[in-house]
Formats: sequence, C-alpha cells, structure tokens
Amino acid sequence: MPGPHSPASALCLLGSEYKKMAAEMSQLESSLNTIIDTFHHYSTKEGHKDTLNKKEFSGLVKTELPNFLKCESRDEAEINDILEDLDTNQDQQLSFEEVIMLFAKLINATHEKMHEGGHHRGHDHSHGPGLGEGGQGKGC
Amino acid sequence: MPTELEKALDNVVSVYHKYSEVKGNHHAIYKDDLKKLLTKECPQYTKKKSAREWFRLLDINEDGAVNFQEFLVLVVKVALRAHEESHKHEGDGHRH
Repeated sequence: MPGPHSPASALCLLGSEYKKMAAEMSQLESSLNTIIDTFHHYSTKEGHKDTLNKKEFSGLVKTELPNFLKCESRDEAEINDILEDLDTNQDQQLSFEEVIMLFAKLINATHEKMHEGGHHRGHDHSHGPGLGEGGQGKGC
Repeated sequence: MPTELEKALDNVVSVYHKYSEVKGNHHAIYKDDLKKLLTKECPQYTKKKSAREWFRLLDINEDGAVNFQEFLVLVVKVALRAHEESHKHEGDGHRH
C-alpha cells in the first residue's frame, strides 16, 4: 500500500498546493507568484509563450520596474544592454531561467538601498525604503 | 509608487529579515532558523532535501550561517521550481 508520503500522493499534494488561495500562501510564495505571473503576462504577448523577446522585455522593464530601473527604463539602448547581458545562450530571447538572475540582482540592490543613509546592518539593524519608494538617490 | 512586481521584490528581502533578525548577527540565518524558513515559506519546493542538506548547500563560504547573497541562491532555486510547477497545470484549464 502506498503510504501518505509515496511519490504519487506527493504529486497530488503539489497540485492542490498550487491552487491554494493567495491568502494561504506564505510571503515568499506570494512574492514568487507575482514574479512568475508578471513574467508570463509579458512572455505570452507574442512569439514563444514562455520567453521574452526584445519588445516584451522592454515592456516589462518600462511598466513593471520604473522605480527599480529608473534610469535604464527610459532608454531603449540601456534596456537592450540588460537583455544582451542576461541572454546567456544568445538566442535573442529571455527564458525565465535567464530573467530570474535580473530579479535576484534587483532584490540584492533593493536590500543594499535599504541600508543606505545611516541604517545599520549590525545590532542596531534598521532599514530605510528600498528602491521602489522615496529617495531615488542618484539622478539619471 | 512601487509596482506590484517591485513590492514583490522588496517582500523577498522582508522574508530574509524575518528569519535573520531572530538572533546573533542580523544578516545571518542560523541552521535552526533556516529550517523554520524552509518549513514555513516554501515546504513543497524544498522537501526533497533535508534542512541540513539545504544548509550545507547554501552556506557557500562555510561560516556556519546563511548570509543575504547565499539566501538568494535559495530564492532562485525555489523560483525555478515554482515556474516549472506553473506549467504543469496548463492542461487542466489553468491559464497564465
């Protein structure tokens, strides 16, 4: 008899967990869900359904990352530079695997930003706003 | 105003601090707190490995704690699994 932890029942569990409501999701799950949904919102617009072409990537950066990539998002050449940097297999498309590295960099950058300007990292640990709000620091 | 995507990226930082500020160095997640993070935040994507294995895998510089950059390795791995998972449900009416 397959026990409750057999591979088959584990798969069912994955299925049911996937469909759980937003309220039941952990903070990490709902954050990743937003990231994945945003990626798919743009990747399904044209061409291959699970990759971003130049136009789709540009749309995502301009509309969804106007504060995190404030300067870059105003300049098509800059956006293209980011795309080329992320496109490690050089097929002019960004897969989720490729674009997740940009999100990881931005999470790191917003964390750095939170510690700027007198917000300590040690035992007086505190945070300022991240990249999305308030002081944008350097101008473009 | 930050967009939903930008808020989500900020929230990943909050997840880290929820577990890193519990004790000791405030930018370090210790073994027992990593176990709590794995169980509470992403159990279905990480249960193939034990908390101990995850700790060994993530503590790249072997200093006995998971720092912020090391935590990002976990975030990328979980995100890739969650993305894969999102496509397993296309057949049963799920649409992006």
